[in-house]
Amino acid sequence: AAAADSPSAALRRRDLCSRGIRLAGKMRSDVIDLLDTYVERQGLDASASVAAVEGVPAAAAERWDEQTGTQRLLENLAAYRAFRALLAQMLEEQREQLGEADAALGRALAAVLLQVSAFAYHLEELLRLESRGPPSEEGAGPPPPPHLGPFERKLRGLGVLRELAQWAVRSARDLRQLAKPGPGSSSAPSPAESP
Amino acid sequence: MFSAWNWVAHGLYLLLNICFLEVSGGLVQSCGHIIPESPVLALGSNFTALCILNESCLDFGNIYANQIIWKIKNRVVPKEQYREINRTVSSVTFNDTSSLATPLTCNILADGQIEQNIYGITVTIGLPPEKPKNLSCIVHQVSKLTYPMTCTWNPGRHTFLDTHFRLKYRWPQENFPDCIPKDVNNSCTITDVQFFVNLEVWVEAANALGKAESDPLVLDPIEIVKPLSPHNLSVNSGILPTVLKLSWENRISAAVMKLKFNIRYRIIGDTNWMQVPPEDTASPRTSFSVQGLRPYTEYVFSIRCMKEDGVGYWSDWSEEKTGVTTEDKPSKGPPIWRIIDASRSPASWTVHLMWKGLEPFEANGVILQYEVTVRAKSSLSSPPEKYSVNTTNLTLKLPNGTYEVTVIARNRVGASPPSVLLIPASNSKAPVKNVRTLPKDGKLWVGWTAPNSYVLKYVIEWCLVSNSSDCVTEWQNEPGNVQGTYLKGDIKPFKCYLITVYPLYADGQGSGQSVKAYLQQDRPSKGPTVQTKKVGKAEAVLTWNHLTVDEQNGFIRSYTIFYKTIDGNETAVTVDPSKTEYTLSSLTSDTLYTVRMMAYTDEGGRSGPDFTFTTQKFGKGEIEAIVVPVCLAFLLIVLLGVLFCFNKRDLIKKHIWPIVPDPSKSNIAQWSPQVPAKHNFSSKDQMYPEGSFTDVSVVEIEADDKKSFSEQDLKPFDLLKKEKSTSEGHSSGIGGSSCMSSPRQSVSDSDEGEATQNTSSTVQYSTVVLNGYRDQTPVQVFSRSESTQPLLDSEERSEDHAGGGDSATQRQQYFKRNGGQDETNADRPCFERTKQITPANEGDLVGFAQLQISGQSSQLLGNELEKNTQEAALSDVLQTSTEGQTVRPETVEGSPLSVDEMPKSYLPQTVRQGGYMPQ
Repeated sequence: AAAADSPSAALRRRDLCSRGIRLAGKMRSDVIDLLDTYVERQGLDASASVAAVEGVPAAAAERWDEQTGTQRLLENLAAYRAFRALLAQMLEEQREQLGEADAALGRALAAVLLQVSAFAYHLEELLRLESRGPPSEEGAGPPPPPHLGPFERKLRGLGVLRELAQWAVRSARDLRQLAKPGPGSSSAPSPAESP
Repeated sequence: MFSAWNWVAHGLYLLLNICFLEVSGGLVQSCGHIIPESPVLALGSNFTALCILNESCLDFGNIYANQIIWKIKNRVVPKEQYREINRTVSSVTFNDTSSLATPLTCNILADGQIEQNIYGITVTIGLPPEKPKNLSCIVHQVSKLTYPMTCTWNPGRHTFLDTHFRLKYRWPQENFPDCIPKDVNNSCTITDVQFFVNLEVWVEAANALGKAESDPLVLDPIEIVKPLSPHNLSVNSGILPTVLKLSWENRISAAVMKLKFNIRYRIIGDTNWMQVPPEDTASPRTSFSVQGLRPYTEYVFSIRCMKEDGVGYWSDWSEEKTGVTTEDKPSKGPPIWRIIDASRSPASWTVHLMWKGLEPFEANGVILQYEVTVRAKSSLSSPPEKYSVNTTNLTLKLPNGTYEVTVIARNRVGASPPSVLLIPASNSKAPVKNVRTLPKDGKLWVGWTAPNSYVLKYVIEWCLVSNSSDCVTEWQNEPGNVQGTYLKGDIKPFKCYLITVYPLYADGQGSGQSVKAYLQQDRPSKGPTVQTKKVGKAEAVLTWNHLTVDEQNGFIRSYTIFYKTIDGNETAVTVDPSKTEYTLSSLTSDTLYTVRMMAYTDEGGRSGPDFTFTTQKFGKGEIEAIVVPVCLAFLLIVLLGVLFCFNKRDLIKKHIWPIVPDPSKSNIAQWSPQVPAKHNFSSKDQMYPEGSFTDVSVVEIEADDKKSFSEQDLKPFDLLKKEKSTSEGHSSGIGGSSCMSSPRQSVSDSDEGEATQNTSSTVQYSTVVLNGYRDQTPVQVFSRSESTQPLLDSEERSEDHAGGGDSATQRQQYFKRNGGQDETNADRPCFERTKQITPANEGDLVGFAQLQISGQSSQLLGNELEKNTQEAALSDVLQTSTEGQTVRPETVEGSPLSVDEMPKSYLPQTVRQGGYMPQ
């Protein structure tokens, strides 16, 4: 954690924002690519509609522009923490299912997982700069995965990836908003530091 | 290396132990061990080892620690390094491990003599790892989504130990598995990295002696990306002839990084690249239009990219792609020049117009044709003549005058601006001055001094001067503001070039100024062949031909003539190169000289073949000076001799023709008339009676008294002679033309064997018939005219009468007179004698005449035959005596009878000066 108002903190924040935006962009690009691969590899129909995945916060937000920076960061963090868990689960399932036979899909999944993880780190750092500190991960994680059949898992995976793509777009917008100097950029500073 | 050696040593040691156990192991247990077991030691550190003996051995063999001997390999460690700690423990200490080696053994002297190994250890010596330095990383894009990161570092010094390196990296909140290098110790590649998150990277090196970490490197991998170059580059010609449009695909997602580009291009065949200004391509794009290109030119393009902000690395250059710009109008007219041949006819010129094809950058396309317009300046009314040609020359026959020639090059797009050449009637304008050349950088530079007036442009003509080929003119244009240029062409070294510079004015042309030049000179390829034109006694004129221009290889600066005698020193004479003749002087006469000649250029000389000549023994005119006087002297001597001979001819004659004794004057001859009985002529006795001699003596007196005869009395005889001379040719067969053929001579001639005259001699002898005295008939008649040997007969006969005759005295007198006359006759050549002797001859003739008269009157025997012979003889006598004196024969003519008497005159002639007249 760093002092919020110091010039270095502002610089750091801007840097985190800009890189976060680009990371979100890259993540979205990669997820879109991954989606194609995933649909193909899993034998799914690209136009298949998937119900909302349980445990994944919806990217769509009401009154999005009224949110504070911290709110945005917190929502984002919660979402990406969920994605991290889901993707890790997917990766495990994928390894179990396909073994090493489809390494490319596995590598792409791992790459996206890494980016999700990195983005979560960005959010945490930004929250620290907001003098808030990230909330503890305990309890914030997704519920233990329900026991699903293989096809349901595939569909779920598809749903996760689609939502992630949505979130990537939203996150980029959130961070842009956050990077703007202005009232909406952050909440009132708090001297308290969370551990 | 070090560790390898350790391994070997260790193996040896194990072998040793096995042997030990086999030999004695069954009986003797290991009696001790060393602490530490197989240590790894830092080089340079100190080290202490302990050898601990087993208690059992102490009892068994009285072995104690003070008996321990430490050895490194087979070398005993000095005792000073030992320390006996107690009965069973001995230590050894090394202050510097560099003195250590493997194995280190603990030995004991059993029974004070036998050394026995107790235990041994392997000692490994090495270095702890250094901190890795200079860690750097780069992300190579290998595909659209794959970004492996390769980090390299400096592993530091060699440790002699097995040292492991690990590339460690992590995110602040997440650790990643280490990257372990394969086969190398200074680089490792992380297969995939994620961008936009700072990554901490460092290297850890570890071995038995320690561990070291490099300084960590914190970076966002996006900042160290070397992207893949753009691909699928394509080049398309645009609407404009100077523009080509490039298109490509980027292989890195814009989500990953935004790119900037470099575009480079070159004309195909050229090696130098040009580059589009980087600021023009500093933003992400997939196409670009390159401008400012040459029309109708093929270009090669290539492109590369990097992160837009310049952080990271440039990609490699893309593959090259070519494109051709479209055609454009020729940018300028072709350079034009002409050669005027005015020799064929005085009133017109043959004008060879020639122009150069445009350079590709000027032609801007394919030149389809040239359009030539010739306009006569003098007659403005006449329309200009136009020609379309595909070649770059045109030959026209034009009347003398001033013309303006225009040439236009045309390609598919359009026509070039016109090139104009003024052909003036005469090159009357100011020429350039001071044309000079200078070889520079393998090219030939021509410079000149500009005339004072404004020059439009210059034309430089040049050609290679050679014997073997014609001067093929090459030329080039230069703008009017320059005063020097390099010749644009293949100028060869060692060749002579004739360079001419013409200034062209707006209204005329200056005459050309020429200079000869070489790009590079060399020695002549051969020397002049010298020979002599003329060789004298002390000088020789040498002549030679100039070297041909092909042989010169440069400007001939001088000739040098070397000449020497066979054993003499060589003399050198330098000769002006314009000469082809030289006179060597002060040579030694009659000496063999060898001469050769060298021709020099600035680069050196070469000698021609040797030529030898020999100077003459005599100088010019010397022989004449000797020969002519000698000849003249000889001629003079001959002339003088001839004159002398002539003057002294009588004397000479006397010596050359000695007087042969005349048989007729011998005693026998005197006697012969007195032996008539011997002859067949019976009348002889009658003719020469004893008494008649007295009469003869009378006659003699008359004869002696010849001087009493007047000239008048003689005249008739002269006349006779004259007449007779007309018929002398046939009347006498002898001595018609020569004084030598006088009767008396003929006698001697016959003696000398002149057969042809024998007859005449005979005749003469036949005339020597003593016809008796005047009034008497001839007593004797010799018929020797038919015989060749009358004299012998008469002599014989004479001898017969040797003793008799009273008339001997008389006859002697008679002979005496005749003899004197005879003598004068014989001594003188007839030519001169004619006058001198005249009195004597006259005397003789008078005598004859008298004899004849008397003979005629007293002749009893008119023997016709004899008469004839006598006549012939007489004519001879007359001829001999009167040659040149034509008067004489008249007298004979006048008295034909006297012909018979003539032989009488002979007898006295044969009498020798009365020297031996018989008594």
